[in-house]
Amino acid sequence: MVEAVGPRVKLGVLEEFLNLARANSLWPMTFGLACCAIEMMATVAARFDLARFGAEVMRPSPRQCDFMIVSGTITKKIAPVVRTLYEQMASPKWVVAYGNCAISGGPFVFEGQYNVIEGVDKVIPVDVYVPGCPPRPEALLEALLKLQEKLTGVRRFPGPERRW
Amino acid sequence: MLRDFSFVLIFILLSFLLCFLVFVVPWVIAPRSKGVKAQDIYECGVDPFGSAWVRYFAPFYLYALIFVAFDVDVLYLFPVALGYWREGGSDRFLVLLIFLAFLVFPLAYAWRKGVFWWRP
Amino acid sequence: MVAEGLLRDLDAIGCVVEEVPYERKGYWFDVKAQKEKLPELAGAFDQHGYFVEEVVCVDWREELELLYHFNHWDDPRRFSVRTRVKATDPEVPSIWNIYPGAGWHEREIHEFFGVKFKGHPNLSYLFLHPDIDFYPLRKDFVPVTEEDKRVLLGRFPEGDEESFWLNMGPQHPSTHGVLRLLLKMKGEFIEDMEPVLGYMHRMQEKMAEERSYSQYYPNTARMDYVAPLAFSLCYVLALERCCGIEVPERAQFIRLIAMELNRIASHLLWLGTYLLDLGAATPYFFAFDDREQILDILEGLTGSRLTYCYYRIGGVYEDLNEGFLEAVDRFIQRMKRRLKDYDELVTGNAIFLGRTKGIGVIPKEVARRYGVTGPNLRASGVAFDIRVCEPYDGYRFLKPKVALREEGDSFARYLVRLDEIRASLSLLEEAISKVPEGPYRVEKLPKRPPVGDVFFATEGARGEVGVYIVSDGSDKPYRLKWRSPSFSNFVSFTEIGKGMLIADAVATLGSLDLVVPEMDR
Repeated sequence: MVEAVGPRVKLGVLEEFLNLARANSLWPMTFGLACCAIEMMATVAARFDLARFGAEVMRPSPRQCDFMIVSGTITKKIAPVVRTLYEQMASPKWVVAYGNCAISGGPFVFEGQYNVIEGVDKVIPVDVYVPGCPPRPEALLEALLKLQEKLTGVRRFPGPERRW
Repeated sequence: MLRDFSFVLIFILLSFLLCFLVFVVPWVIAPRSKGVKAQDIYECGVDPFGSAWVRYFAPFYLYALIFVAFDVDVLYLFPVALGYWREGGSDRFLVLLIFLAFLVFPLAYAWRKGVFWWRP
Repeated sequence: MVAEGLLRDLDAIGCVVEEVPYERKGYWFDVKAQKEKLPELAGAFDQHGYFVEEVVCVDWREELELLYHFNHWDDPRRFSVRTRVKATDPEVPSIWNIYPGAGWHEREIHEFFGVKFKGHPNLSYLFLHPDIDFYPLRKDFVPVTEEDKRVLLGRFPEGDEESFWLNMGPQHPSTHGVLRLLLKMKGEFIEDMEPVLGYMHRMQEKMAEERSYSQYYPNTARMDYVAPLAFSLCYVLALERCCGIEVPERAQFIRLIAMELNRIASHLLWLGTYLLDLGAATPYFFAFDDREQILDILEGLTGSRLTYCYYRIGGVYEDLNEGFLEAVDRFIQRMKRRLKDYDELVTGNAIFLGRTKGIGVIPKEVARRYGVTGPNLRASGVAFDIRVCEPYDGYRFLKPKVALREEGDSFARYLVRLDEIRASLSLLEEAISKVPEGPYRVEKLPKRPPVGDVFFATEGARGEVGVYIVSDGSDKPYRLKWRSPSFSNFVSFTEIGKGMLIADAVATLGSLDLVVPEMDR
């Protein structure tokens, strides 16, 4: 697995501040492969609006984005491409496995299957898993909030489990 | 006049400082990724195919030439605009018009010759 | 009619033509031919103006059977041409020089079954990963021979001094899915292109052989995920045709309403993303907002937003929910007002016109040789719509208006799709006032379909969606082949794309409305 090397000096409090800044401006990379890509596009559209949580622009180039939403089935042909794109992203970077296919191959795993890789975490390290086929756009918003919680340690909006 | 130049000196020093900081601060505090492909050319996720050292497509050169010419002309017009505001006058306006005419004639010629439309 | 002239020619060539019952089989004429006669046959079909819908291969263990489905725009009576070859040495003459579209299907059959097509210029890997060392869709494990492996890996596109290869790669904001095009560029012009597909090959056809008919049904929604009800409808209707099930009228109307709503949603998504490709970010939000209204209505009916599992063999899963018909009526009124907004925002825009008028013209002959169907064909002046030519299900009662344009460029394709949204809206208005009472599902279903084959074609949002099912009497299909409209539409781009500017290539690819998983299956 590719690992990132940490900064050259120990940062202390600055690290928290930097993480807060990073968490509130996470820019996703458009890596829509299959059906889940449509729900990802719907999340960016006006009704569910990913931009209000900081994920303002979806950049197609890996050099300009922070995290990668892997939405769709990983086949043997696309796996090296996923790997290359992940390595070309600049650190710090995170990955969200969106949809059942990215988590574990989804509905395309059967006896004698020859082309599907069962889960994108066999290719790149994943931070947040979003189950569903396809997951609702609200699930992607929750994934972004969980990723922000992973960075800053503080959950920004209370989830359903904390409401009562 | 020395006072004006001191402003310019401060401006140059600040811009150097900014460029320096922009390079040094990430070098110090940013994490780095490792990986075989991290420094490779980005070409939609696959390895680039074929060579990039091919013979130039000539119309690209024409475009670049025309762009540079007119860009430099506009560069000259900036101080002219500033100076003209301070010391205007109709004879200077005529000189400016002649200068602009020298710019417009090659543009019209290029347009007439069809440089601005792609042709195989 | 055209078919009579063709039948005389086929008699002269010496093939056995049999008329089969359309209500059970899905095609009208079954032609048995020897493989040597195939080029002559293809020539006869071409002379009479037929187009190739698909080429199918079925593995019967000792023999491989190849089927060519031909259809005609004016006389839509389908011909199914069959030929058999020995499994140990499967070699068939190729018809790519008469029908280049069929050449692409042949390339796919070569890598999945190992059938060698004599005379085909390029039989290299199209869908599969080069590491694979067997033919996937054969019933037994048949390894790839050394010689065939060389052929499969054999294509090395070469550069020269003046051109360079640009990768319009799998990860690209404008290719609408994971499609890769290797473009040989001369400056801004595309000299040649080499598509590489298969990045989303999810083995749908192999999976059909491992799953029972009901278990396979959710897969149909994942093929074309933008308008999945077309594929679901095709699958369900094929099985109903094969078993001779009579679907109640209420179910037919409900299916039609859901399908037309899905078609509007698909065209809206196309509109938003196409304009995003061309650089206009605003219509994307408008289109997705309208699409969300439809998705809310369909979610109330089916339970899902995107991949619906609503149709069942013999009807639909559940009856209409309360308030459905009123919601559809409100949506129709709203959408009619919104279409004026689209016209104001997009249709008269000078930049949009400059980028799409005259760009990417598909002439009728090219469309015929490659098997282009759907709005792309109707924008080139051919009024071929399966809902009207071969009515099925609810379309036997309600006829949609066929949108037609003559120019064949990207602007015409845009106008045709807008017209189709209008036609769907008026069809929906008529349908919701005429929904009859009655059962929404057939109560008793046969356990298994009878032995035999069946073909069914429906009109999806992208073109003619077809399914060919071979049943051997068990509860799993023996062979299931999808006729994907995006594949036939895409291969026509390999011809019209040569010599284009790359910006025009992006505009044309977007206007063809491709969905890649439906191409890759």
